[in-house]
Amino acid sequence: MGGVAAGGGERVEDMTDASQESLAGIKGISEEEYLHCIRCGLCSYTCPVYRVLVTETFSPRGRVALIRAAGQAEVDPGKNFGDKFYSCTLCAACSQVCPSGVKVDELLLGIREELAGRDLLPPALAHLSRTIRETHNISGEDNTVRLIWSENLEHPPIGSGRETAEVVYFVGCVGSFFPRSYAIPQAFVQTLETAGVDYALLGGNEWCCGYPLLVNGLPSEAEEAIRHNVARVRATGASKIVFTCPSCYHIWKHTYPQIAGSEMDALEMLHATEFLADLIDQGKLHLREMNQTVTYHDPCDLGRKSKVYEAPRRVLQSIPGLTLVEMSDNRENSLCCGGGGNLETYEAELVTALSARRLAQAKQTGAQVIVSACQQCERTLANASRQQRARLRVLDITEVVWKATEL
Amino acid sequence: MLEQTIIAELEHVVGEANVLASPEDLICYSYDGTFAEHRPDVIVLPRTPEEISKVMRVAYREGIPVVPRGMASGLAAGSVPFSGGITLSLTRMNQILEIDAVNMTAAVEAGVITAYLQEVVEAQGLFYPPDPASIKQCSLGGNVACNAGGPRCLKYGVTADYVMGLTVVLADGRIIHAGGKSIKNVTGYNLVQLFVGSEGTLGIVAEVLVRLITKPQYVQTALGIFPRLDDASRAVNSILATGVVPATLEMMDETAIACIEEAMQLGLPLDKEAILILEADGNDEAAVLREIEIIANICRQSGASEVKIAQDEAERADLWRARRSLLPSLARRAPNQLLEDVTVPRSEIPEMVQRVKQISHKYNLPVVIFGHAGDGNLHPTILFDKRDETQWAQAQQAVGDTFAAAVELGGTLSGEHGVGVLKRDYMESALGFASLEVQRQIKQGLDPKNILNPGKIFPAGPPPIQGRQL
Repeated sequence: MGGVAAGGGERVEDMTDASQESLAGIKGISEEEYLHCIRCGLCSYTCPVYRVLVTETFSPRGRVALIRAAGQAEVDPGKNFGDKFYSCTLCAACSQVCPSGVKVDELLLGIREELAGRDLLPPALAHLSRTIRETHNISGEDNTVRLIWSENLEHPPIGSGRETAEVVYFVGCVGSFFPRSYAIPQAFVQTLETAGVDYALLGGNEWCCGYPLLVNGLPSEAEEAIRHNVARVRATGASKIVFTCPSCYHIWKHTYPQIAGSEMDALEMLHATEFLADLIDQGKLHLREMNQTVTYHDPCDLGRKSKVYEAPRRVLQSIPGLTLVEMSDNRENSLCCGGGGNLETYEAELVTALSARRLAQAKQTGAQVIVSACQQCERTLANASRQQRARLRVLDITEVVWKATEL
Repeated sequence: MLEQTIIAELEHVVGEANVLASPEDLICYSYDGTFAEHRPDVIVLPRTPEEISKVMRVAYREGIPVVPRGMASGLAAGSVPFSGGITLSLTRMNQILEIDAVNMTAAVEAGVITAYLQEVVEAQGLFYPPDPASIKQCSLGGNVACNAGGPRCLKYGVTADYVMGLTVVLADGRIIHAGGKSIKNVTGYNLVQLFVGSEGTLGIVAEVLVRLITKPQYVQTALGIFPRLDDASRAVNSILATGVVPATLEMMDETAIACIEEAMQLGLPLDKEAILILEADGNDEAAVLREIEIIANICRQSGASEVKIAQDEAERADLWRARRSLLPSLARRAPNQLLEDVTVPRSEIPEMVQRVKQISHKYNLPVVIFGHAGDGNLHPTILFDKRDETQWAQAQQAVGDTFAAAVELGGTLSGEHGVGVLKRDYMESALGFASLEVQRQIKQGLDPKNILNPGKIFPAGPPPIQGRQL
């Protein structure tokens, strides 16, 4: 045992020499949490980033080791340290698979908060935070033009400018401002109108939900947006909010109640897939035949992180003629497309490599279409499909349902 | 620290991006699947055997220790670089080079993940049987270096039984190709088997040619629940005496069951001393069904209170998920584990289990017992908190007692994890002086400067490390 004891002893000596600039006492991260990591390495297999970079420093196990080393004052938590934590989509596959129960995704959010507090947020991400603070959206556009996506619809959405309604449709920044994603809110409002849903859009009163700030480790900066959005939704008297964006849905469902408290009591939050499934169950949508084979990609924020797996599958299976086939990694084991965690802002090239792996899984199913339920997954996978000249279309589930809706 | 000129030379060989030396990188390459840790001076990630060769030429010339590393899930601290130097990470060498369906072989680079190889060959109706519990987080190179086993070994054999050829880079940078696709080969010494299990101390395994078999079409899995652990042990021998060879025969004791249940809530019984997971497989469905019935009957006759046969793939997957999650789930009980893999003649399993329980009692440390009961390979796992000095000292004594018990019963220290650092001090007691001396001479012959994974396998002390002290 001599060698091991010597190794351990040396580590203890290192601790006494280390810099005072330690992370000892990382906010909300207890020593027990990272000591539960027994370094089995199972998380590396499921980590989409590790499988591409094949470097321990960019594996979940490596990141937990770095957090531990910082907590024990063995490494300076400077810029080089900080940079190791942003090549990550926060897909939470590591937490899902960890048999020791280490909540790796919470550790990763905790460390991002610590790093942001030390002014170590990478410039591109700091710029994103600033844009959101100043313009209330991720694009830096004038927030009053939030309904620009609706301009080439035949008529303005019924929900636009409505002061009261039963349901608020919270569009989200990407659907509002990224032309490639306009089709999603366009399809969804037309479906809502066909089903006779009494809904409102917040337009310029909708602010960025705050999720990108949370992901940047700046939860306190999201608080203003949270209070604002909740107040605007309450002003409509709505009892339900529906989201086409899984990230908006996730923060509303998990973080908003912590900040807005009882203000949220009477509000039911539903992802579009859940809302559509209900409409179909109630016989409010009549779907016509679509003779296609599709595969469904579970978005991380909707599936693994919000546990919504069945609603989107029920929606797809209720379309006559449509065949749903599963990819090898599905539901809680879904492989991240690469679009999460603000990774696209930080390191776009890595996203390309990640999405190629997911596309390969989709190709293996023989499906003609990849259906997702997230505008970011849709963009990411569509880019991959185009780059590889794959004969595989990528659609959001709202687009599929609108195509199938009988008028 | 290595001189900057040497770092530059390594960067020239593999590219700047594939030489890592930041404090963060050194921390992340300082450990394996144990609690042991020591930082290397630099990490080099080669892409080809030729690049490995060039790295070795530099290391040989300068006398720098080189520690090969795959997914670093090892359980003997074999890839922890206690002497510093170069950690040679083979994870970029992750391509399957060829699947030859006619000769039924696969040629792979050392960094191919074992589960990935299995997935790819099984899609073609072929089968690579070795299945270490860490199958998703280990690579073929590491499997060869440690001669990895797994639950299926009882029927199908260990990694060594499937390795037909190797590309190995020697300490001085020479590349050799040993073995090949010929099934019979007595042309000279069997160098392939010399390198299998050598733990990176004789050469760097760069590429592996493995034998494949056809995939068994039918599998049946049974769970036997035993109120008494002794009965479970005896059932193992009774089953094998009938001539039925189960594909696997796994045992878990009550502490193991409780840990898994806490982690996964699979509905396992918490008031029984042991469970056996037994599997029969083959290409004749009727024969497989008959075998699982025989197995189930013997379990019942030997004292099982209940025998369940998995009814579908989902139930079967749950049983295996439980078994594979056992080790990590032990972390819920104590921050540190010493996972041993002593092996005894099968007839001695009940006695070995009793002795381990006595050792647990003697040192007042919980010991979980599980393992591949069919081949006598047990994994007594001592749970402790290394931060408590008394517990740490007692855990080490308990390990020594466990090794002594195994050797006394005609067994040995390690069935499948390897020696690494954790078992090296017990080598002479297990092998005897002369046998150990022969192994030292082989090491000396192939690695005269002692730069390949120095300090592993052989007990500390003379002969000293001859490489340059770093």
